[in-house]
Amino acid sequence: LTSALSCADILVALYGGWLDVSPNRLRDPHRDRFLFSKGHAASAYYVVLACRGFFPVEELASYGTSGSRLPSHPCRLSLPCLEISSGSLGHGLGIGTGMMYGMALSRHSGRAVVLMSDGECNEGSVWEAAAFACAHQQERLIAIVDNNNMQAVGRTDQLMGGATFQDKFRAFGWGVRTVNGNNISEVRAALDDTPFMAGRPSAIIAKTTGGAGVSFMADQTLWHYRVPSREDLANALEEIGEQPLIEVST
Amino acid sequence: MRRAFSDALLQLAREDPAVIFLTGDLGFGVFDAFIAEFPERYVNVGVAEAQLVDCAAGLALEGFRPIVYSIASFVTGRAFEQIRLAVGYHGLPVVVIGAGGGYTYADAGVTHHAKEDLALMALIPNMTVVCPGDPNEVTALLPQVCRLGGPSYMRIGRFGEPRFESSTPIHVGCARLLREGQRVAVLTTGGSAVHALTAADQLAELGVRPAVCHFHTVHPIDVSALVALSGQAEVFVVVEEHGLQGGLAAAVSQWCAAQPRAPRVLRIGPSDELVVGNPKQNELQRRLGFDAAGIAAICRELWVSAATAKTAMGEVP
Repeated sequence: LTSALSCADILVALYGGWLDVSPNRLRDPHRDRFLFSKGHAASAYYVVLACRGFFPVEELASYGTSGSRLPSHPCRLSLPCLEISSGSLGHGLGIGTGMMYGMALSRHSGRAVVLMSDGECNEGSVWEAAAFACAHQQERLIAIVDNNNMQAVGRTDQLMGGATFQDKFRAFGWGVRTVNGNNISEVRAALDDTPFMAGRPSAIIAKTTGGAGVSFMADQTLWHYRVPSREDLANALEEIGEQPLIEVST
Repeated sequence: MRRAFSDALLQLAREDPAVIFLTGDLGFGVFDAFIAEFPERYVNVGVAEAQLVDCAAGLALEGFRPIVYSIASFVTGRAFEQIRLAVGYHGLPVVVIGAGGGYTYADAGVTHHAKEDLALMALIPNMTVVCPGDPNEVTALLPQVCRLGGPSYMRIGRFGEPRFESSTPIHVGCARLLREGQRVAVLTTGGSAVHALTAADQLAELGVRPAVCHFHTVHPIDVSALVALSGQAEVFVVVEEHGLQGGLAAAVSQWCAAQPRAPRVLRIGPSDELVVGNPKQNELQRRLGFDAAGIAAICRELWVSAATAKTAMGEVP
């Protein structure tokens, strides 16, 4: 849940009118491509997709159940509105560079946005892709790193040494901006400013809090795994002052 | 096979504007004509096999037909994850070319040996695995695998392999009967076909006539060819430049094991041991007994025993 909550505001910024996507134009060659590479946070992504009409909101109740189109890691074979299936980390950016190369060859407008987790950037394939994107001047490619500094068993900055994501992407030739990733308007403003540098891909380092918005989950690794009880859910909803979108039986 | 590949690639690119070629920093001078004609459709990704394949998957999602090229040991090993998920899981029409398959680079060291490439690729759902035996098969099969609509792997060798002639057409998925015969059938894949044909010519002078059937498509295996062969032969001799698991012999054995009555299967080829000491490819084939002489010797022996022990069909002596 922490990974899902940390990127919820980023997803809202993207799907709240910035991305040029629509359920009626799933294969429009000029649409924006959004690649949800941090597949383990699918629960947040599904909610945003449902709210934008990509599938019925009621279907969210089937999340993770046998036969559901909404498995815990997104599957394009069951949910064709997805650009990619994900779950194994480190693929989204590489696939995104290939899509961007193809879009440029085909003279298709549109941008490719890849949302990654910071733990995902442990994978070497991310940096192979980062070098490629710069070499091919993919200025319509945007990588967003959900930098909650929390991974499955440890802290990202401790595992990866002192260099910041800002420094790393800059070293790979990208235009970079660091924002508060739990502030929708800050994320939106950064997206509006892309490309940060002409002829360069853009990286948005979104500083986030795992479990953002719920005090007892915030920055707690335990909630990377734990399933909330009915009581936990009630407390969390009360904190953010919201009603559930759907009724879920336990 | 490399020249046949680069010529076939150029031809394919002229016919199909969706064809795009990606290399993992290999093929110096081999693709100059392609680069001159289609500079935008030639992408050197660098020494980055994961990116090579993920990028190809992205291109395939955009409607292109990517052909990715690297050394067989590197592209199937290092990029297995990317081939399995970005290409296989998404069911994309990406053609993976493994150059220097088997022990083509025997003398380059263990890092360059690819005796598990066919097995790794055959493990991936919906993957078509082809292992052409000569340049003609490369020329014929490349456009066919490119149009399959799903993922495929093609192992190719190096430059200057001999060609063999046969009236049987080259269709992906269909084995080619190169020599009619009886009692013993030699089943080959890749360059072993040439050795088997040389052996068959030598054996004919001794009155020994094994069938030679060539499986350029290893996966899925041509079951109807196996049915036909098992009606003619008591013993299958499978020759492959591949490890024990997951290659042609494994596929043939698996099929035979499920039949109520089937030929005995003998395999000749590399063992599971590491090959050190930089032997030449032909030297290794001779040492491990899967060159023409090795095939001829085993066929001669089996020809006699098959004639005298017909009732023991299917049993290991």
